[in-house]
Amino acid sequence: MDNSMLLSLITFSPLLAILVLAFVPKRYGGIIKQIGILGTLLPLVLSLMLFANFDYQLDEMQFVEHVPWIEVPIGAGAGGELFTFPISYDMGVDGISMPLIVLTAIVGTMAAVASWQIKRRLKEYFLLFHLLLIGMFGVFATQNLLLFFIFFELTLIPAYFLIGIWGFSERERAANKFLIYNGIGSAIMLLAFIAIIWLVPQVNADPTMSMTELRNVLTSPDFQAMMEQMKPGFLFGLFLALFIAFGIKLPIFPFHTWMLKVHVQAPVPVVMIHSGILLKMGAYGLIRLGIGLFPEQAYSFAAWMAVLGVVNILYGAVLAFVQNDLKMVMAYSSISHMGIVLLGFAAMNTIGFQGAIFQTISHGFISALLFLMIGVIWERVETSQIDELGGLAKSMPFASGILLTAAMASLGLPGMSGFISEFLAFLGLFGTMPVIGSIGVLGIILTAVYLLRAVLRTTFGPMPDRFQRLADAQPLEVLPMIVLLGFIILLGIYPAVLSDPLQETLKTIVPIVTGIGG
Amino acid sequence: MDTIMQYAWLIPLFPLLAFVLIVSFGRQLKETAAYLGIVAAAISFVLSVFTFWARFQEGAIDYKLPVEWLQIGQSVVEMGFEINQLNAMMLVIVTLVSLLVQIYSRGYMHGDERYPVFYQYLSLFTFSMLGLVISPNLLQVYIFWELVGVCSFLLVGFYYFKPEAKAAAKKAFIVTRIGDVGLFIGIILLFWWTGSFDYSVIFNAIAADRLEPWMTTLAAVLIFVGAVGKSGQFPLHTWLPDAMEGPTPVSALIHAATMVAAGVYLVAATYPLFLASPTALNVVAYVGAFTAIFAASIGLTQRDIKRVLAYSTVSQLGYMMMALGVAGAAGYVAGTFHLMTHAFFKALLFLAAGSVIHAIHTQDIFEMGGLRKKMPLTAGVFLIGCLAIAGIPPFSGFFSKEAILGAAYSAHRMDLLWVGLIAAFFTAFYMFRLYFLTFAGERRGGSAEAHESPAVMTVPLLILAVLAVVAGFVNTPFAPVLHQWLASGSVGAYIAEASGGETAHAALWVQVVAVLVSLLGIGLAYLMYVKRSVAPDLLVRPVPWLYQLSYRKYYVDEIYHAVFVRPLRWLGLFLNLFDRYIVDGLVALLASATNGIGALHARLQNGQVQTYGFVVLLGLVLLVAGFTVLGGIPNGQ
Repeated sequence: MDNSMLLSLITFSPLLAILVLAFVPKRYGGIIKQIGILGTLLPLVLSLMLFANFDYQLDEMQFVEHVPWIEVPIGAGAGGELFTFPISYDMGVDGISMPLIVLTAIVGTMAAVASWQIKRRLKEYFLLFHLLLIGMFGVFATQNLLLFFIFFELTLIPAYFLIGIWGFSERERAANKFLIYNGIGSAIMLLAFIAIIWLVPQVNADPTMSMTELRNVLTSPDFQAMMEQMKPGFLFGLFLALFIAFGIKLPIFPFHTWMLKVHVQAPVPVVMIHSGILLKMGAYGLIRLGIGLFPEQAYSFAAWMAVLGVVNILYGAVLAFVQNDLKMVMAYSSISHMGIVLLGFAAMNTIGFQGAIFQTISHGFISALLFLMIGVIWERVETSQIDELGGLAKSMPFASGILLTAAMASLGLPGMSGFISEFLAFLGLFGTMPVIGSIGVLGIILTAVYLLRAVLRTTFGPMPDRFQRLADAQPLEVLPMIVLLGFIILLGIYPAVLSDPLQETLKTIVPIVTGIGG
Repeated sequence: MDTIMQYAWLIPLFPLLAFVLIVSFGRQLKETAAYLGIVAAAISFVLSVFTFWARFQEGAIDYKLPVEWLQIGQSVVEMGFEINQLNAMMLVIVTLVSLLVQIYSRGYMHGDERYPVFYQYLSLFTFSMLGLVISPNLLQVYIFWELVGVCSFLLVGFYYFKPEAKAAAKKAFIVTRIGDVGLFIGIILLFWWTGSFDYSVIFNAIAADRLEPWMTTLAAVLIFVGAVGKSGQFPLHTWLPDAMEGPTPVSALIHAATMVAAGVYLVAATYPLFLASPTALNVVAYVGAFTAIFAASIGLTQRDIKRVLAYSTVSQLGYMMMALGVAGAAGYVAGTFHLMTHAFFKALLFLAAGSVIHAIHTQDIFEMGGLRKKMPLTAGVFLIGCLAIAGIPPFSGFFSKEAILGAAYSAHRMDLLWVGLIAAFFTAFYMFRLYFLTFAGERRGGSAEAHESPAVMTVPLLILAVLAVVAGFVNTPFAPVLHQWLASGSVGAYIAEASGGETAHAALWVQVVAVLVSLLGIGLAYLMYVKRSVAPDLLVRPVPWLYQLSYRKYYVDEIYHAVFVRPLRWLGLFLNLFDRYIVDGLVALLASATNGIGALHARLQNGQVQTYGFVVLLGLVLLVAGFTVLGGIPNGQ
C-alpha cells in the first residue's frame, strides 16, 4: 500500500466517525456509543501501520507530505516583483513524533471505551471527542508552524466543552481556567512564531513556515553570528517565550494551577486524554520547537531547566502527599512526573533526551490507567476522597490489584515503563549535573511515599460495610486496563520498541545542541 | 557437566512461570496452586544443585551470557546471566529455603481464602531473588532488587485488611527505597566513570585505577547504602521487625533467603569495589558492628516471639556486614559463610515459631511456656536453631561465627572482635530466654490447646534442622573447603591482590572465649527463666529507663516520625496553602487585570465618534513611529 498519505489519513480519520455520527439521531444512545468507540479504531489501525512501516535507519522526516497551500503577498521589491509568503501543507514524523501518534491512538481508543459511562448528550460528546483527536494527531504529525498552531488551538476548543459540559460539579470554572491559561500560552506561542517567521527572511533565506527549513536556518552558524551582532539576546528571548508557552502546557511550576482543577472536574475519559496526551504536547513542543529551533539558547538555559525540573518533582510530590482527593493526588503526581521530562531535557545528552521522551510516552499510558481506575472507583462509590475510601481490595480485588500495579508503575518499579524513563532521565542528568540530579532523586522516595499513602488508604485496611456489595471491574472496564497495562509492561521489559526509532532522530538533534559530536 | 551452566537462566524462569500460571488460573486452581509453586521451586532447586556442582568441579570457570537489551546513547545495555562461585552457592540456598517454605506453607496457610495469591507472591519473590543473584550487571541487579522489594511489600501486607499489616508493608517499601536511592545513584556514578554497568568492566576499571579514589569510596558507600536498606542495617533497620506482620512463612523467607540476604549478597558481589577503598570497608565494618550489638540489645527485652527473632536477624546481618568489612579473604568468606548458615537456622527458627503460633494463636512469649510436652518436635528443632545461632559447637553457627571472629582477630581488629563477643553473649541470652519461656516450665496463658503441627509443616522443619546442624562442616578450621573454593576465581584474585593471600585462622583462645561467652548467656537465661534463682529484673531494677530504652527500641521509630514524617506533612500542608493562595492567587490577579483592561475597552465603546477618531489617530501615530524606528516595512530584503 502507498504510505504517502498515511499521516493525513491518521489525522483526519476521526472525521469518518464525525460524519457518521452526524446522521444518527440523538435518541439512539447505544449506537452513538458504538460508533464513537469503533470510530477510534480506524486511527488506531492506521497508526499501528505507521509504526510498522517506520524505518529505524533513517534520520530524516518520514511519510513526508508537502503540498503548496496558500501564497500570501507580503510586499513588492524594488523592481516591482511581488514577494509572496508560501504556506504549504507539510506533514512528516520522526522518531519522536511517531511514538506520540501511536500513544495518542491507543489512549484515544481506551478513553473512548471508558466513555461508556458518559450518560448525557452523547452525540455532542463523541463529536467533540473525535474533533479533539484530530487536533492531537495534527499537532504531532504536522511539520508546518502555522498548521501546528492551528491544530494546537483545535485541541483547546473541544477540550473546553468536554470539560465544561460533561465534568463534575465545578466543571465550568475548571473549563474557564483551562481556556484562560492555555489562551495565554497560545498567545505567547503565536507571538514567538510570528517573530520566528519574520526573522528568517532577514538573512536572505526564503520565507518559510516549515519546521525543518526553519531549523536549518535558525541553527546555522551564520544566522547565529548575525543575530548575536544585531540583537543579542533576542533569540534567547524567543526560546524563553516558547519555553513558557509549552511550560504552561506541561505544566511547569508556577504555571500549573490550571491543570489541577481540570484533573478534578473533567470527566474521566477526558482526564485520561488530558493527562495522557494533551500535557505531552507541551513536552513535544519543548523538544521540537524550543530545543529543536534554539538549541544553543536551550543549552545555555539547561541549568535552569534542571532546577525547574527538580522543583516540579519535589513540589508536586510534597503536595501530592497531603491531598485528600485521589484525583488531586494524581494531578500533583503528574506535575512531579513532568519534572522528570524537564530533567531529561536539561541533561542535554542523548540519554537524557531519551529519558525525557520515554517519560512522555510512559506517563501517557500510566496516568491514563490511573485515572481510568479512579473513574472505575467513582462509578461505584461516587467519591474519590481518600478518607471516605478504604478496604476496596476485599470487594474489588481485581480493580484494586490493577490500581496498585499502576501506582507501582508510576513510582518507577522496574519491569514497567516508568522505571526506564526515570532511570534514563537521571542517568543522563548525572552525566552533566550530578548535584542537581542528587537532589532530584529524592523525588523517587517521595513518589513512593505519596502513592502508597493514597493507594493503600483506598484499597487496604478494613472495609466499611457500605462497600460490601461493590461489583468488581466489568469486561468493558477490564479491556482498557489490560491494554494500557500491557503497553506499560511492554515498554518496561522491551524498551527497544521505543528506543530503536529514537536513536537516529536523536543523533540529528543532540550534536547540534551540545555543539559536539555526542 | 559444563553445559548445565549454560542453562542456569532456567532457574529463575520456573518460579516466574508458576507466577504467571497462578495469576492466570488462580481462581480455578484454589489450593492446588501450591503444587505449581512447589514443583517450580523444586525444579529450580534441582537445577541449582547441578549448576553448583558443575561450578564446583575442579577447573570450572565462570560462565556468562549477555544479551543486548537497550541502546542508550553510545552504549548498549545488556541483560543476561552469570554463574560464579558466590552466586552458584546463593542459587542453592535461595531455591532450597524457598522450596521448604512453600511446602511448609501448604499446611500453614491451609484454609486462607487468598491461598493462590499467596503462592503467586511467593513464586514472584523467588523469581526476583534468583534473578538478582544471577545478574551479571548492576542495572539488572537493581531491576530485580526493586522487584524483591515490591514482593516483600506485597507479602508483608498480605493481610491487607489489618491496619498494622498495611502500615508495616508501607514502611518496608519506603524505608528500603531510601536505601535504594543510594544504590541508584551509585550505579549511575559508576556508569559515568566506567562506561558500563557490568561487574567485570567496573572491576577492571577499578583495578586499572581509572576511578579517582574519592569516587571509588563514594560509589562503594552508596552501594552499601542500598544494602543497608535491604539488609536492615542501622539506621534503616526499622522496617524489618515490623515486617513480621506478614504470614510467618514469609518472615522465614524474608529473613533467611531472599530480601535481607540481598544486601549482604550485593556487598559480596561488588567486593572488589569495596576492596579498593579502605574507607568504604570501614564504613561497612562499623555499621555492621554497631547494628549487631544495637539490635541484640533490643532483642533482650522483646515479648513477641517473632520480634525477638526479627531483631536477632538484624543483629546477625550486622555480623555478616562486619565480617565483610574486615578486608581480605577471611572476612569475605566468613561473611558469605554466615549468610548461608544463618539462612538455614533462621528459616528453621521462624518456621518453628510459626508452628507454635499456628498451634496456640498467640505471639507473646509470656503467655506460652511448657510447650515442649505438647510439641516435642517443634521444641527439638527450635532448640537446634537456638544452639546454632548461639554458636555452640558443632552446630553450623559455631563455625561461621568463629570464622567471623577469627577474621576480625587475624586482621587485628580488636574493637570489632569485642563487639562481636558482646553481641554473641546477648544473642545466646535472648535466644535461650525465648526458648525457655516458650517451651520450658508451665503454660502461663492463652486458651488454645497446643498440638503438634501436621507433617507437611514438620518435615521441612526437620530438613532445616539437619542443615542447621551440618551446614557448618563445609568450612571447618581443619578443612576450609568453602574458603578455598570461594577465594579462588575472579573475586579471589582481586582479594589476593588487595590484601595478600593470607588464610590465617584465629588463635584457639578466640574460639574458646566465644563458646564460653555463649554458654554464659545460656546459663544466665537458664537461671533467670527456668531455675528462677536470678531475678529477671536483676539488672533492670536500678536503671528502669535502660529497660524501657531497649523495650521501646531506642525510640528510633518515634524519632523518625518526629524528624521526617511530621515535618514532611507540615511542609505539605504549608505548600498546599501556598499553592492555593499565592501561586494560584497571582494568576487570578492576572486574570482580573485582563478583565480590567477589557472593562476599560468597554468604556471606550461608548458611541462617541470623537473618541473613536482619537484612538484611530493614536494608532496611526504609533504605527508611523514604529516603522520609522525599524526603518521601513520588512519585506524579505
